[in-house]
Amino acid sequence: MTPNGAIAFGLLVIAAAIAARDLVSLAVVLALLTVFALASRRSIVSALLWSAGIMLPLAAFMALVWVGIVGRAPHEIAAGTEGSRAAAAAYVTVVCTRLFVIALAVQALFLHFAAWTPLGFVRALTAPPVARKLLVLTLSLIETILHAVDRARTALIAGGIVTRQFSWRNLRHGWILVQTVWLIVVVIAIGRTRDKWPIEATLSRLDTALGASAPRLAAADIGWGAAGLACLIAAIGLR
Amino acid sequence: MFTTPRLVAIALCAALNFAIGNVVYLVKLPIYLDSIGTILCALLIFPDRIAAICCAFIAGLIGVILSGLVINPFLPWFTFSVLAIALVSALLTARATDTFRAQPLVPLPFFGKVILYGVITGIVSAVVSAPVVVYLFGGVTGSGSAFLVAFFLKTGEQLLNAAVLAGLTTEPIDKTLQVLVAALLYRATPREFIAMLRPAQPAT
Amino acid sequence: MGEFIAGPSFSGRSAALMERLKVLAPAFFVGPYAEGALSGLSSTVADEIAIYRAPARVHTEFAPLDFAAFAARKPPTLSGGEQVLLALHCFSLSDYGVIGIDTALEQLDPANRDRALAYLSQGDFTAALIDNRLDRPPGWSTQECSGGPAFACDLAAATRDLKPRAAPAIAIENLSFNYPGGRDIFRNASVSLEPAQTYRLIGPNGAGKTTLFKLLAGVLAPASGTIALNGARYAPWREGNRIFALAAQNPDHQWCGATLGEDVARRRRALARYDEITVPGQATLAALAALLGVGSLDQHLYELPLVARKRLSWLWPLSGALPWIMLDEPTIGQDRTMRAALAGAISRLAALGHGVVFITHDDEFAATIAHRALRVADGTVT
Repeated sequence: MTPNGAIAFGLLVIAAAIAARDLVSLAVVLALLTVFALASRRSIVSALLWSAGIMLPLAAFMALVWVGIVGRAPHEIAAGTEGSRAAAAAYVTVVCTRLFVIALAVQALFLHFAAWTPLGFVRALTAPPVARKLLVLTLSLIETILHAVDRARTALIAGGIVTRQFSWRNLRHGWILVQTVWLIVVVIAIGRTRDKWPIEATLSRLDTALGASAPRLAAADIGWGAAGLACLIAAIGLR
Repeated sequence: MFTTPRLVAIALCAALNFAIGNVVYLVKLPIYLDSIGTILCALLIFPDRIAAICCAFIAGLIGVILSGLVINPFLPWFTFSVLAIALVSALLTARATDTFRAQPLVPLPFFGKVILYGVITGIVSAVVSAPVVVYLFGGVTGSGSAFLVAFFLKTGEQLLNAAVLAGLTTEPIDKTLQVLVAALLYRATPREFIAMLRPAQPAT
Repeated sequence: MGEFIAGPSFSGRSAALMERLKVLAPAFFVGPYAEGALSGLSSTVADEIAIYRAPARVHTEFAPLDFAAFAARKPPTLSGGEQVLLALHCFSLSDYGVIGIDTALEQLDPANRDRALAYLSQGDFTAALIDNRLDRPPGWSTQECSGGPAFACDLAAATRDLKPRAAPAIAIENLSFNYPGGRDIFRNASVSLEPAQTYRLIGPNGAGKTTLFKLLAGVLAPASGTIALNGARYAPWREGNRIFALAAQNPDHQWCGATLGEDVARRRRALARYDEITVPGQATLAALAALLGVGSLDQHLYELPLVARKRLSWLWPLSGALPWIMLDEPTIGQDRTMRAALAGAISRLAALGHGVVFITHDDEFAATIAHRALRVADGTVT
């Protein structure tokens, strides 16, 4: 499956989840996702756990608000009727299941490409050259920022300003950490933009590395795309 | 419009959005702080307004897409909020760049403008985000504002109105905090970097 | 062929190098410090190599490390020396005919530094080099740079008014530490550090020299083991650092503010919490900073030249406020005169009673300071 196909499939599946109005249609989408995850031979367990991990606190919150406090579903509020907690619970279940399916779709697709290098992934993506360059640059800078966070922490701890342990003083000084990280990264960026890139023409080297031909769409993309489309149609049809 | 330094600024601000937003999300604070990079990008590229809008929006967009992949899959749905924040930042907040960089810091104009533009950004963000909160999340996003939504629902408000009202209560605070951090980071940014972001001069 | 650009600090060598490279462009460039070595366009080592690899081999390959084993690693997580070696490896796989290096070789350990210099000297490409530890390498043409306003730095004056002081003895017992998911860095390591002594940590890259600094400063917490100051338990990872003044290898990794004034104020406030520390006054520190080349507290730290930032990173170590000093590669980017002055300052600090620990790959510099060598390797410190 190519990144292009994956994005198309993902969008179709998520659109189907949004269009789905009840648990039956959501189950259809979930089934398709499960088949996809199994077929990609990555661990579906981690995708499920991650999605559940995102959703459970949210679900608990929603249940507390809608079932516990409000006590009726939105359509009952709109109609001005008395409503019931059962209706509220049904509403929460559908919303949470939909969110779970969306989270699972994103994770399953993300994991599908886990073995690819970021450059390889962006190379296979069909997008304007500026967009691809920007994506590569951002991914690289994220690593730089994460590393700068470690450096900045060392600086602040060695300077006696914060300690390793969590403390309220550390929280007050969180701003200094953010400022230091930003400055470290900006200075690195200035050095590259002013010196290294112009002399090396590094960015055109990146263009060459990204330009190496890759298939836009593979057979798998067509297959999964069709399945995604069918799922969307089913979700709309079942409304 | 997209000179190399500007691409770097976009990427830096997108990466900043990603890094700060994710830390805050993981710590589960009742604030988001995921648009500091968007606001900062607009400040950096001002006074070229069109470029500031575009670059800030792209920085915000990349930030939510990447965050969506790794941490919070629901963020990309707030793309219109990202656009709204980029517009407000480039057209309004960026007018205060001279105040933000004034040495020494003059508290009244500095914090006054931070609060003014933060509140405006928050109001706009709340109004634009409410439909997504309602249709995707059923009004409850897992932040403290959910209880406000419940309160407004209890008083008989329709869901969309309740979400807007709840948003108007919490977003201005969150966005003011973000404008503050962005202004302080802008203030600390080395001159050389800001100078690099000027529009490319035509070759003479 | 090799082109060596010589001259003291601030004589315009970096500018001369850039001018030369512009004439010869496109040229591969390795800037000072690790951050100047890599492209900034890759998220993995494999991608970094892929960006530079040319379809057909033009140069002999330079591969002092097994980069295939590093393929999935993220470039910023490599050590400074490893990043420089990776950059040279990428050059050797590329089709650039010219390479320019601005002091980056100073971070390499002696063996890798010799390998790198031998590779650059071989002659089938043009190499333009700035290096403070070389003096007209044989077989290289030399361009002399001279003059230019300097950030005048007077270390003798900076240390003249320091008072003698007592520093605690440090006893490390059975220290064990490993990075999550990594091998053991320290396994029941024990060592004693006496005050009024100078120690040099030596050992291969990745052995744990900087890790030991971080443990002592409380940045990292050991898995087991204790540190004692004059016999009393000391746990900086819980209590904070009030003993060590650290000068980091890259000066940008130790500032706590955007301007010098901000940095100084924050540190003074932090240290004022401890009764046993006499915090130097703002004016004293400003005067010390002036002697190190920075005349105003309003100076934006990151707008200073890199060499000046490195000198300013010695501010707190030279202030005498804290009893122990840790210097991580203090001589990078500094010319011969400054290295000699720094050696003198270190000796003076030790004579006054401070304890000093430094890391350097520069054997010549180390030889000018009376010190005890501590070997960090295989999980122990001996």
